[in-house]
Amino acid sequence: MIIQTRACRYARLRTPQAYNRRCLSQCTLDRLAGPVQSYISTSRDPYLNLSIEHHLLQKTAPDSTVLLLYVNRPSIIIGRNQNPWLEVNLALLNPGRQSRVETEPPGLGVVDLVRRRSGGGTVFHDVGNVNWTVISPPKDFTRDKHAEMVVRALRGCGIDRSRVNERHDIVLDQGERNAEVNSGNTHSTSYKTGPEGPTPLKVSGSAYKLTRQRALHHGTCLLSSPNLNIIPDYLHSPAKPYITARGVESVSSPVGNILLDNDLFIARVQEQFAELYGTSSASCRVNEEWLEHELIRKGYDELKSFDWTYLQTPQFTLSNDSDALAEIILDLTIRNGTVASGRIRLPRTRTRDPATVQMLDEWSGQKVHEIDSWHDFISAAFRVEPSQSDSLCRWLERMFPLPTTADCRQDIE
Amino acid sequence: MSAAIGQSGASLAKALQGPAKSLARCSRNQYLRLRAQRPAFTPARSFTASSRSFEKRYTEDHEWIDTSNPESATIGISTYAAKALGDVVYVELPQTDMEVNKGDAIGAVESVKSASDIMTPVSGVVTEVNSALEEKPGTINKSPEGDGWLARIKVTNPGEVDGLMDAEAYQKFTEESSEK
Repeated sequence: MIIQTRACRYARLRTPQAYNRRCLSQCTLDRLAGPVQSYISTSRDPYLNLSIEHHLLQKTAPDSTVLLLYVNRPSIIIGRNQNPWLEVNLALLNPGRQSRVETEPPGLGVVDLVRRRSGGGTVFHDVGNVNWTVISPPKDFTRDKHAEMVVRALRGCGIDRSRVNERHDIVLDQGERNAEVNSGNTHSTSYKTGPEGPTPLKVSGSAYKLTRQRALHHGTCLLSSPNLNIIPDYLHSPAKPYITARGVESVSSPVGNILLDNDLFIARVQEQFAELYGTSSASCRVNEEWLEHELIRKGYDELKSFDWTYLQTPQFTLSNDSDALAEIILDLTIRNGTVASGRIRLPRTRTRDPATVQMLDEWSGQKVHEIDSWHDFISAAFRVEPSQSDSLCRWLERMFPLPTTADCRQDIE
Repeated sequence: MSAAIGQSGASLAKALQGPAKSLARCSRNQYLRLRAQRPAFTPARSFTASSRSFEKRYTEDHEWIDTSNPESATIGISTYAAKALGDVVYVELPQTDMEVNKGDAIGAVESVKSASDIMTPVSGVVTEVNSALEEKPGTINKSPEGDGWLARIKVTNPGEVDGLMDAEAYQKFTEESSEK
């Protein structure tokens, strides 16, 4: 599989356009020094767009301010310190790859799972969602500043129900028209909300990454996603009741579409950005060509790796103690995405015997996402008869579905 | 390295005044021998307001380092930084035995949807991490310059500490940056 991909890349490199590409990338690299930079990506690859974004964070001049806009194919983006087994219904991501699918999967096909480098919670991206990123010097940065910029852009499109809320997200107030509010105030609207009106709908979520010299603020903006009704299916993990986790848990909010055209929104955001930071030259288009750049390639490969997606997970425990039907109780502690310790015992309802079997030390360090047979793992690590642990292992397969490789994912597309 | 020795030799000399000339012009070997005698001078320093604050330095990125024990200097984030970050909900700690260069990220904290890198003020080898933060990340807010320390590090280039700010200079620095 991998060999094929490489062959493809070589073939592309040998085409005459390769020279143009080099030249172009030199031009784009020179831009990184400009005081105000604006980019728009034509790629829909979430791994690539996040890698370009990370490169801009690291390599643009420390005093510069940068805008990047991009749209991703259907993908779930988890926060830096989140737990994919807790946040995501992983079995839905690769329909057809799972041997036992109990219900008809929603019809979205392959959905990418990406752990981003910024904090915050899990979001769903698709082509009806435009992502905006502003990278600025930390001195001028506040958590609301660029959400306010986007609200001004939305209001410029006639969306006067939009405002920044206390979580630095953008919501649309849903109530009737109320008192007149100064249109310059991006934190309140003329529509009823809160205790007096219906719950506002979230249309944009924010996350941040702060480094030595730079502050990155990125947000989503739901304009016309056709998938709002099935997103909850993807974001409800069957393992949630059984996991106790450290790290960051998502706060779920009712969401809505703004019902705007992507291009109109993009143009308004670019205008508002130019207004805030002074006119920038026309926005620069970026795409897969940036992958030729070694550093971006490195970041891209890291973002795509299962080690980054799964091993960066904060410590958690999985226990089926609360499952009344369980025949054997298992407690597993997972540290850095690897099994650190475990024990099994009989349920208290069945026996008063408190005897437990500890996991054999030699199995600690086993990467959870690489366990392709829970039957083999449980019988080897706990020295139990496979027949005794059959229902437990089937349960574990549902909790920890085996991920498919990125290359396989591309094959399906 | 030699520049760093010259620098710290000079500051030592200034502090001691008397034997200054010999120290300032001494060879590397002489310097090291004199430096080895340093504990003999410390009683003089204990008369100053606080020997602890003398050893604690700050970076412009709002980390602090306490080098009272250079074999195991303590690193954390400043009270100013902890306030600016807001409620810390998760702390990523470095691995012990990790070798780091001055300015490398040795950890990260998450607060209010923000992942923020923590940089090491000096080069060295991580000797210990504050595992208590894994369960109680909020300790960073409650006691950023005490129980909320992040890691201990064996300093490999003590000269790097000299470029950092003392408490007074750091306070001035934070006042100036909040005015901007």
